[in-house]
Amino acid sequence: MSRRQTLALLAVVGVCIALYLTLYKIGVIGVLSCSIGSCETVNTSRWSMLLGLPIAAWGLAAYVALLLLAMVGSGEAHESSIPIARMIVALSAWSVLFSAFLTYQELFVIRAICIWCVSSALLWVVIFALSVADLRAVSRAE
Amino acid sequence: MANKGVDGGRGRRPGVVNKQRGNSSQRFYMVLALVIVVGAIFIVRAARAPRAIANVTTVPVTAAQAEGYLMGNPNAPVQILEFADFECPACGNFAVITEPDVRNRIVNTGLASYRFFDFPLPMHKNTMAASNAAACAADQGKFWEMHDELFRNQPEWNGESDNKDNPKKVFLGYVKALGMNTDTWEKCFDSQAHQSRILANQAEGVRRNVQSTPTFVIGKRQIPGAMSYDAFKAYVDSAAKEAPVAAKPDSAAPAPAAKSTTKGATK
Repeated sequence: MSRRQTLALLAVVGVCIALYLTLYKIGVIGVLSCSIGSCETVNTSRWSMLLGLPIAAWGLAAYVALLLLAMVGSGEAHESSIPIARMIVALSAWSVLFSAFLTYQELFVIRAICIWCVSSALLWVVIFALSVADLRAVSRAE
Repeated sequence: MANKGVDGGRGRRPGVVNKQRGNSSQRFYMVLALVIVVGAIFIVRAARAPRAIANVTTVPVTAAQAEGYLMGNPNAPVQILEFADFECPACGNFAVITEPDVRNRIVNTGLASYRFFDFPLPMHKNTMAASNAAACAADQGKFWEMHDELFRNQPEWNGESDNKDNPKKVFLGYVKALGMNTDTWEKCFDSQAHQSRILANQAEGVRRNVQSTPTFVIGKRQIPGAMSYDAFKAYVDSAAKEAPVAAKPDSAAPAPAAKSTTKGATK
């Protein structure tokens, strides 16, 4: 399996997490499965909404964008595309920074941890590392 | 990616490379499908899971009429009942996002009346206090204003907030902001003057087999879970068509909660 295919798989995992939290936020899912931490506190805090949309919906959009880029970039025509590799690095770098900011808010402002949010943040770190490796590989092959 | 070039460099024939690529893609799509299926099953199960069930005990409380809190014309063609918990996030989302439209376009236009029933759930530490706060605000004609403040600001007073051990302090802020008489409100709140009324509202929900919050009764239909305005309006329109039957007195109205035997998240 190529690096971009792995990125696509990780994006699907992220889509599932973000969709789960979004559905909770809009009331489709009643109770979050939350064995560690306090998901309810985090997902009802002021940081659970951004510009009128649930923060999880923004995450969902980011994961969908990553999925599309990774799927297109996995195709034979674009497998060595440096612009796609750069876009994935940019998207994941931004997401890592934003996730870090949200994790800071959880730890020091809301004072509660949501295991799903932390999982998503860690997922972005892995995605970022993989995307940097991908960019380096395609740049070398050029 | 660069596999093609590498394989070519090892002197493999194009057919071999294509076959390997095909196998790799096949494996990828199989794993992708597996992840999607597992994720979908998890999410669908979560959406279908019962939310929370009221804690039913045999502790007797003073009998009271389950009246709820009325908004709009009680003789409107459609009657809407909402069973909700002030600390439930889904109820809060509905109250903040959807309910303003329901009030403006459905209740204020005379299409339906709206009645709120407390349905405090046992796992929410401060929900009973919030129900008491709202009931005491109702004495001063400010139930709906307090209802909105409580739902809008759940993180300030809920059982996981910094004020979890003293929600009254936060409620008092709302009382002042809404221009109520704080002494009267405090006296009412401290004595839990409306506890029996709240428990009667809850008992009405138990009688109707409410399993989760929020749950709505629109005309003859009982619908669990928050929903969008469009879905809500569709239920109201559907109930309005059945209005000759649905609008009969008390067709959707609650029954008296005689000798209620329920206890919610009592302090």
